[in-house]
Amino acid sequence: MSDEVVLQTRALSKVYRDFWGRQKVRALKALDLEVRRGEVFGLLGPNGSGKTTTMKLVLGLLFPTEGEAVVFGRPASDVSKNERIGYLPEESYLYRFLNAEETLDFYGRLFDMPASTRAERVDALIKQVGLDKARKRPLQEYSKGMTRRIGLAQALINDPELILLDEPTSGLDPIGTREMKDMIIKLKEQGKTVVMCSHLLADVQDVCDRIAILHQGELKELGRVDELLTVADVTQVKGRNLTPECQNEIREVIARHHGELLSMDNPTTTLEELFLDIVRDSEARPGRRAASVAAANASDSPPSS
Amino acid sequence: MVLERQVLPYFTWLIQGEPGGLGALPRFLLVMFGVGLAALLIGFLVAALRYGFSRGGDLTYRTVYGGFFELLQTKWRRVWALAVLAIKEARRRRVLVALGVYFVILLFAQWFLSTDYPEPARLYLSFVLTATTYLMLGIGLVLSAFSLPSDFKTKTIYTVVTKPVRAGEIVIGRILGFTIVGTVLLAIMGLASYVFVVRSLDHTHRVDAETLTNVMIGGKLQGYDGSTDKVMSHRHSVELDAEGNGLAVLDRGHTHNIDRVGEDYKVSGPIGLMKARVPKYGKLTFIDRNGAKKDSGISVGFEWKYRSFIDGNTQAAAIWQFDGLDHDSDDEFLNLALIVRVFRTHKGVVGRPLTGTIQLRNPETGVVSAERSFSARDQQIDEFEIPRALTDPKEEPIDLFEDLVTKDGRLDVIVQCLEGGQYFGFAQADCYIRLPEGDPRTNFFKVNLSIWVQMVIVIAIGVTVSTLVSGPVAMLFTASFILLGFFRQFFLDVATGQEYGGGPLESLVRLVTQKNVMVELDPGVGVSIVKAIDDVFQGFMWCVGQLLPDFRSLSAVAFAADGYNVPWDRVWQDLTLCGAYVVGLSILGFFLLRTREVAR
Ligand SMILES: Nc1ncnc2c1ncn2[C@@H]1O[C@H](COP(=O)(O)OP(=O)(O)OP(=O)(O)O)[C@@H](O)[C@H]1O
Ligand SMILES: [Mg+2]
Repeated sequence: MSDEVVLQTRALSKVYRDFWGRQKVRALKALDLEVRRGEVFGLLGPNGSGKTTTMKLVLGLLFPTEGEAVVFGRPASDVSKNERIGYLPEESYLYRFLNAEETLDFYGRLFDMPASTRAERVDALIKQVGLDKARKRPLQEYSKGMTRRIGLAQALINDPELILLDEPTSGLDPIGTREMKDMIIKLKEQGKTVVMCSHLLADVQDVCDRIAILHQGELKELGRVDELLTVADVTQVKGRNLTPECQNEIREVIARHHGELLSMDNPTTTLEELFLDIVRDSEARPGRRAASVAAANASDSPPSS
Repeated sequence: MVLERQVLPYFTWLIQGEPGGLGALPRFLLVMFGVGLAALLIGFLVAALRYGFSRGGDLTYRTVYGGFFELLQTKWRRVWALAVLAIKEARRRRVLVALGVYFVILLFAQWFLSTDYPEPARLYLSFVLTATTYLMLGIGLVLSAFSLPSDFKTKTIYTVVTKPVRAGEIVIGRILGFTIVGTVLLAIMGLASYVFVVRSLDHTHRVDAETLTNVMIGGKLQGYDGSTDKVMSHRHSVELDAEGNGLAVLDRGHTHNIDRVGEDYKVSGPIGLMKARVPKYGKLTFIDRNGAKKDSGISVGFEWKYRSFIDGNTQAAAIWQFDGLDHDSDDEFLNLALIVRVFRTHKGVVGRPLTGTIQLRNPETGVVSAERSFSARDQQIDEFEIPRALTDPKEEPIDLFEDLVTKDGRLDVIVQCLEGGQYFGFAQADCYIRLPEGDPRTNFFKVNLSIWVQMVIVIAIGVTVSTLVSGPVAMLFTASFILLGFFRQFFLDVATGQEYGGGPLESLVRLVTQKNVMVELDPGVGVSIVKAIDDVFQGFMWCVGQLLPDFRSLSAVAFAADGYNVPWDRVWQDLTLCGAYVVGLSILGFFLLRTREVAR
């Protein structure tokens, strides 16, 4: 992970309006984010919290009401940024009358790549997402998971540097989910930047370097996953071969560094706990950034190792 | 009639236009400028309303500026990919069903089209070509109007616009793809309709041996006269030479060749059913009843403005001057055609057509030929084969080409009306010299090309409109655009107040108050308000009228039906017009799509 900022939003806000310009929903409120090259960034939040809206704003599918999104140093409305972006939408919006090969070939043609490279990539991606057997079948016959897979292949057709995945694991079977996680990690290893949103917190915890938690369009939490999940004011000690006396006098023992100290660190909570806490807190006290809340609350609940 | 308006030479049309009018190119640029300005203003107003004055201005500026550069980045590869997608989509939407419909139409046509007409080819051609036109316009409309809106509805557009696709490429790709689909359909329909017409009218006759009588001149057998049997409700008279070869005489617009084979006669299929006459036009001037030269004749009221009349039995005459003829020509004939509009102030002798005269004159030496009289039948094409050997009014022999055509190839044709109190009306295109005929098949192709041009314009309009609104609305909008296009002249006349009855609102008032279009409305505040609103409305109508494609004048069906060659000049003009619409609409569609929030 380098310091190069790939994606940046500055006070990004979105108000959905109806035809007459009347305000319907404030979907996003002054969001400031920075995503750096090579990291996997997770956008979390309950349904309707503005994750998809954020992605659409970054892609230029929506125009911001205020603020701006900058991708590769260019405004989101600049089409040429799309050369280096891959996008998997919430649902796979693909042409149902095309088959897998035709679909990938079509999207491939929209990029500047030679025909031979395109053919290779199409073939490799179909195999990679496990649709080799169904490559000639039109998408309207596909199951949800299969559609998801071809949608993912479509997002990777240009070997993008920045990949936006909107709920990548939705509709996938456990194996598919596993493969998806492996693939995200592989992409990270290749130095790509991934921005994803998901409701499967365990998966996010596994793959994401940093996360942002949104609630009702507001940023509630932002930071490295490992830091966020650390319960700062709790210390966990693991030891072996400690006599009962020693255990009784554990504080002194540790103070004097007796015995074999196997580990001594802060316990971590799960992302699930963190998430629920933040959402509960935000609902109780709306409009506040839940900065220290997480840690404070985490200490109340029993830490799990 | 086809020849109501003359086709201008291409470059005259492009640069200068009709006398007093505007060339197509300056007109295009003006319209583009006007539309651009209006779009800029509307865009700015909308943006300013939504985001405030300065941000709106900034947005407008960036849209135009960035848009301009984006337009330059249009890549053929992506356009083609999107075009192929459009083709696949059209196929999935079962566009081929249209062909089935077409064949059914042809099958039914077989029932009610009759060959029992003076010119059956005209009926057949105008039917099949008109059917093709409407079907193709319908297909273009449905294909183009629903495509993009369905992409928006199914959100497939999200995956497309998040690729490096410029908005213009989506528009042009659609237009191109549907044009290709339409072209294939039109080609099949064109071929089918050609075969249909030829096969429907194809027939042969048997020479009725019993009717043949010997033609003897000076006791020598010169040939035979006779007639054929009756096929397709007509029979021809037959003229054969001494060897028994000859010709079935012109009837129903066609002839047959006849060859003697042994004892039998072999009659060919119909010849000349489809024609492609090539007229050569002259320049028309008039002489009034007192013998003075004039640019126009007299008006007999509300007639075509550009046609004017000469009064009979006076010195009044219509004179066409032709140029580019060959003084040294070896031809035996000069083929002249004349269309007369007859205006009677009294019945004359009932049942007898009016007579007029034609004279040829050398514009330099003033040598004239003897008057040749003809019977004028209203609106009919009279064709004259004027032989080379003529006489002057004193019965001295003169040669048409040597004596009447000047060295630089000019010739005057003078037409007069002989009957007092009656009038002949002429326009410049009403008299022409018939050049060697064009190939009817090429002509048929050209007419289909004119259908193609209309189809492409419809597709371009449909795609452009559909960047902004939903499918049904886009279709409705495009359909009304086509409809207005068919009545463009009327629409413009209403807009410029040349139609009786005032503007739309005034007409409505007249309708409700049951006043006819000629009476003045009683002056008053109400009427002034109505007229003021109409002025604004008419201004708006005028603006819309400038954008409307004139589908009626784009149609070349009448050329084929009436048996005229479609001049290449016209074909190029149509194609240029088509290109102009595609370019203009693509740019418009590009900006519309670009400023549209895709994921709303
Ligand atoms: N096109 C739209 N018109 C009006 N409101 C919208 C539109 N799209 C989204 N919204 C509203 O904006 C808010 C944020 O929606 P968004 O789709 O960004 O949520 P999300 O975080 O992606 O939720 P989910 O987890 O369910 O996908 C919601 O209140 C939603 O109702
Ligand atoms: Mg979402």
